[in-house]
Amino acid sequence: MKWKKLGKIFDPTQHSLPNDCVQFAQSPQALVFEDFIRIYFSTRAIDKSNGKFLSHIAFVDMKKNLRDIIGVSEKTVIPLGGLGCFDEHGIFPMNVMRHDNVVYGYTCGWNRRVSVSVDTAIGLAISHDDGLTFQRIGDGPVLAASAYEPFLVGDGFVKVIGGIFHMWYIFGKGWKSFAIDAVPDRVYKIGHATSSDGINWLKEADGQIITDRLGEDESQALPTVIDIDNRYYMFFCYRQSYDFRQNKQRGYRIGHAWSNDLVNWTRDDQNPLLDVTPGAWDSDMLCYPHVFESDGKVYLLYNGNEFGRYGFGLAELEID
Amino acid sequence: MFKWHKLGKVFTPQDVKGRTWLKEFAQAPATLLFDDFVRVYFSCRPLADENGQYISHSAYVDLDRVNLFKVRQVSKQPILSLGGLGEFDEFGTYPVSVIRHGVEVRAYYAGWTRCESVPFNVAIGMATSVDAGKTFIKHGNGPILSYSPDEPFVLSGPKIRRFNNIWYLWYIAGRKWKLVAGRAEPVYKIRMASSSDGIHWHKQNKDLIESRLEDDEAQASPDVFYAHGKYHMFFCYRYSCDYRGKDNGYRIGYASSVNLIDWLRDDSKAGIDVSEQGWDAEMISYPHVFELDGQIYLAYLGNQVGRHGFGLAVLDGKLG
Repeated sequence: MKWKKLGKIFDPTQHSLPNDCVQFAQSPQALVFEDFIRIYFSTRAIDKSNGKFLSHIAFVDMKKNLRDIIGVSEKTVIPLGGLGCFDEHGIFPMNVMRHDNVVYGYTCGWNRRVSVSVDTAIGLAISHDDGLTFQRIGDGPVLAASAYEPFLVGDGFVKVIGGIFHMWYIFGKGWKSFAIDAVPDRVYKIGHATSSDGINWLKEADGQIITDRLGEDESQALPTVIDIDNRYYMFFCYRQSYDFRQNKQRGYRIGHAWSNDLVNWTRDDQNPLLDVTPGAWDSDMLCYPHVFESDGKVYLLYNGNEFGRYGFGLAELEID
Repeated sequence: MFKWHKLGKVFTPQDVKGRTWLKEFAQAPATLLFDDFVRVYFSCRPLADENGQYISHSAYVDLDRVNLFKVRQVSKQPILSLGGLGEFDEFGTYPVSVIRHGVEVRAYYAGWTRCESVPFNVAIGMATSVDAGKTFIKHGNGPILSYSPDEPFVLSGPKIRRFNNIWYLWYIAGRKWKLVAGRAEPVYKIRMASSSDGIHWHKQNKDLIESRLEDDEAQASPDVFYAHGKYHMFFCYRYSCDYRGKDNGYRIGYASSVNLIDWLRDDSKAGIDVSEQGWDAEMISYPHVFELDGQIYLAYLGNQVGRHGFGLAVLDGKLG
């Protein structure tokens, strides 16, 4: 299997987005319709009270050629959470999935802390209008911190397989300062939970399911899973946990693992490999992958340099 | 109706010397009985930091079983360490509830973290002691009871009980943060979860106690015991605004149930109110009922929610 890059397909700075968002189209996630594809992403507004970012969900509708843009969302897809709620300061990302004639949106909600910058948890919101707007099932999350996953539960990706809801997500392993006077950075890993209803989840006991390639301080994020010919393929992004923003040798790359049983995963980043392209929009960084199928083709949406400040691109899987 | 005879204040934290972490407050008393003394756990604070912010520790005082007004000793150290960077209990462990389990003692405690938009958030952790309740080892670095769709924040005030081989945890869950004169004030309600092992919990997802003062009444310290064919709950409640003084501050309420789920509130039966003057003239809160050598006692807090310690009352006559 090989990835064929199709280039950047969306630049948020070329569009007028709701909630006064101007930059960033992060973590693109597809909802496939009969004659178009709706791609949700997280974009950012400035919090006027303190100059910090607030992440909002928006979408772009594209023709099935994934080149021509039909339009972007004109109104708020899902408002941010209320005072003190887990998703008060941002939703990034939101994973969308059709189930029982509605669309489930699994949100990663952000709330700011004092000793560390942020905590996250995973919420559920439902859309009854084909994904134009989403309503939370409650003010709190469906998956949050637990005894051995003490913080930073997020990046849920959900698939129903054989009547069981499967969620791959990330959880924090630790906050630490990697250098004197450095602000604390976080380390997170990919985990797995199952559910009969998509609301009440049981986490796998062993925590981390994907082995480290960069050692214990590797951070793994945004798992996305697809089944092709009875095998499951997971894509995710991974990086060093410190000095990863500017140093392109330490920044995000796309990882891959496969499984035949959804229990044991074999990591194999090289096959298929999606690598940086020198001089291109994704020369320094590759992150936030989302794999999906449309009209018999398997695509990967992903972000490039600067965590998706200037949009996202696409690759197509060529199967031998 | 119950009729409580007040015995006066039994413990004053300001009297304790040589402990920088125990300067004031002795909140949320919870008892563990020994052959010749009663160990009363409580939560205390060092002096506030330069920003006026507190952290909370939990500790115990051993009272002579024959004369509860005789203090035998106060713990040399807090019974629990504070959590690490970014963990749910980084800034406080308060309150704590204990129960014997075989040769061990388990503590269920609320852990406090600090947030940006609201002052704090709280979740419930568990820890185990193998030295008769002197020190406790945490079960993981995260909470055993955390946020969910209907319980979005501030899970606090755990009270652990076991009836008919089932573990029950009464606690409070935040309903909303209410802005009062620019300050975020939490509104919380009494809730319950059950478990077969005391670690994995099934939430009842129900407000157990009807609000009486106002919709935004805050309820705390749900202290449950069984006697004469039914379950009794003493708790405390207050108004949502201006509750730091006498008029809107905490009072002690009462409810009963035959099945632990449906509760009938009748505060007129509580049988205890603020005094005309003295240490408990402005408010009374955080009730804890325990039986000792044929008598029923009520430990509770007075003015300023236990800043100057806790007191005792003894039941006149029999339980209702």
